[in-house]
Amino acid sequence: MFTLRSILRPLLMAVAMTCLVIGLNNCTQAPSSSNAPSASPAATSAMTSATGDRKININTSILSELDKLEAQLGIPALSNQIQASRPYGSIDDLVSKGVLKQDQFDQIKDQVTVEDIVLTGEAKDVDYLTKLGLMKGHMLIADQLLKLNLPDQAEPHLGHPVEEIYVDIQEQLPERKVPEFSASLTAVQDLVKSKPNDPKVATEFSSAMSGIDKAIAVLPATQMQSPEFVLQAMTEMLDTAAAEYIASISGGKITAAIEYQDSMGFVNYVKDTMFKSIEAKLTQQDAPLAKDLRSKLDNLAKAWTQPVPPTAPVVSADEVANQVKAIEQAVASLKKTAA
Amino acid sequence: MPIESNKFIKPLNRRQLLKLGLAGVGVAGATLAVQQLRQASGNAAVQIPPIPEGTPTYGNGINPMKVCREFDYGTLKQENGRTIREFQITAQNTILQLNQAISYVTWNYNGRVPGPTLRAREGDRIRVVFLNKGGHAHTMHFHGIHPSEVDGIKPVRNDTAFIYEFDAVPYGLHLYHCHIAPVTRHISKGLHGMFIIDPKEGRPPADEIVLVMQGYDVNEKNENELYAFNGLPDYYMQHPIPIYQNQLVRLYVLNLIEFDPVATFHLHANFFKLFPTGMTLAPTMETDVVTMGTAERHILEFAYPFPGKYMFHPHQDAIAEAGCMGVFDVIPRSNA
Repeated sequence: MFTLRSILRPLLMAVAMTCLVIGLNNCTQAPSSSNAPSASPAATSAMTSATGDRKININTSILSELDKLEAQLGIPALSNQIQASRPYGSIDDLVSKGVLKQDQFDQIKDQVTVEDIVLTGEAKDVDYLTKLGLMKGHMLIADQLLKLNLPDQAEPHLGHPVEEIYVDIQEQLPERKVPEFSASLTAVQDLVKSKPNDPKVATEFSSAMSGIDKAIAVLPATQMQSPEFVLQAMTEMLDTAAAEYIASISGGKITAAIEYQDSMGFVNYVKDTMFKSIEAKLTQQDAPLAKDLRSKLDNLAKAWTQPVPPTAPVVSADEVANQVKAIEQAVASLKKTAA
Repeated sequence: MPIESNKFIKPLNRRQLLKLGLAGVGVAGATLAVQQLRQASGNAAVQIPPIPEGTPTYGNGINPMKVCREFDYGTLKQENGRTIREFQITAQNTILQLNQAISYVTWNYNGRVPGPTLRAREGDRIRVVFLNKGGHAHTMHFHGIHPSEVDGIKPVRNDTAFIYEFDAVPYGLHLYHCHIAPVTRHISKGLHGMFIIDPKEGRPPADEIVLVMQGYDVNEKNENELYAFNGLPDYYMQHPIPIYQNQLVRLYVLNLIEFDPVATFHLHANFFKLFPTGMTLAPTMETDVVTMGTAERHILEFAYPFPGKYMFHPHQDAIAEAGCMGVFDVIPRSNA
């Protein structure tokens, strides 16, 4: 009801119940008793499969990576099914959660993992662009609220890039030769909190924005001009936007302005910046799809009329979720034809 | 979800055996008999009244009447000669009807506020498979002793998963919560739960009850307008928790009220034994009010000698009267 894939929850629950029965039967066994804290999978380094290819993390991989499994096994929409049945405690859960049959699993079990392998290649770059795109969305809405002279409402959105995202990309910055930019993000938040009318707000804000822009600019031009690449980050952002929009509404009213505003920033950044950057190229590649996506995005954005939310939602939560789903499906059709 | 009372109880003492009418049987035989009894009928030494059925959930994924006695022991897996206790947690958003007037979007673990009461035995290997479907970045930060990689500080972005794996140490009453800033908002919107690590030797059999104290900042003004035990304001006032007269009750009490620095827990018409942070096997004091800062938690033990209804609440009475108030309905022990 509240997530795009909630229809799959009953299935997940059923699986959980099955596990429970097994769990209880085993509960009387003596548990292991080592008290020495040892390293978690999170600490283990990247793992490779027998063929030398990097393993695919079924908990975290983006759809284009999972498509390799889908192609190999020839199961339609497998990538989406793998994503929808997350999380996986072990790779065997692909079978116990009913995503794969045992014989199918046996064919790919050497290629998948649940260990927190380090993302590489395109997946790492999509993840990186998604996170920076989310930052831009937060800053975009903060800027609009500052221009409306609503520093109190702008402040949480200036905080989110630092609080929710920055530490997650921080370790990649040196290898990508991107200068640290958290200081300016923090500075503008502090100023808006304590001295919202200080002229330095504007300069610090620009400095923070240029920090994010520089971080985006290190991605290769081939990727940033590739519809396939940018569309992946776009769908990740839209998924997040839908979840937040849903979380802004209760009792038929918009009760959490922060989540409404977050989702507005994400959708507008996707529509006005990300999609625009690849629209011409996509039109050359697949004109009907480009037109379809443009109209779907314009339509989606109508849910957000202004930065200060109306009392009641203009578009229902379910409708926004469905629209985002439709965009994801349209994007998936491009990947299929390209592959 | 696994629903069980404490499975790690130690063998019964002689007095408890007498109560069961097993006096006179050889000690070894008695222990065996009790274990068989326990397997046959759950925990025979502890009497728990039937849980009232059909009480409302007000949109919560779980009825508070169930929250108070439900423990999630996870799924046991054997890997490389080690036993692993695995839990699956999904961060998501759920709308609760906090009272007649207020419909409120909670952020929570597994669709319920508070999150599942995770339970393990000292030294178990814990694996928590965490999936974020909440929109915002979230995490699971456990109290306890573990390496920094699994401390739950690194954000887990929407629609991605992370596995927290560590040993359950030390024994005691702990908690988990989201550690994304502003933590006040992430905790008070519902991203929290209890994490019980039982001592190896277990604790004596008791009717075990979980109470999590929480505040709701409904209008985002960094102060609470409503408070609750186990997710829903005033729930246990409308639906008292039944317990038996003279039955040992073990309360697991956690204060996760943000914005108010402290709250006490006060029990009417009785005194309780206090096991601070659940990290002792013997009580350190006896009282009827204990003071807890945010995230502080204790184990309390008591039994009621007289039947009747008895309130419990923080003695910050404004907090109590804004929803953090409940009642134990002590009913005469049946002749079982």
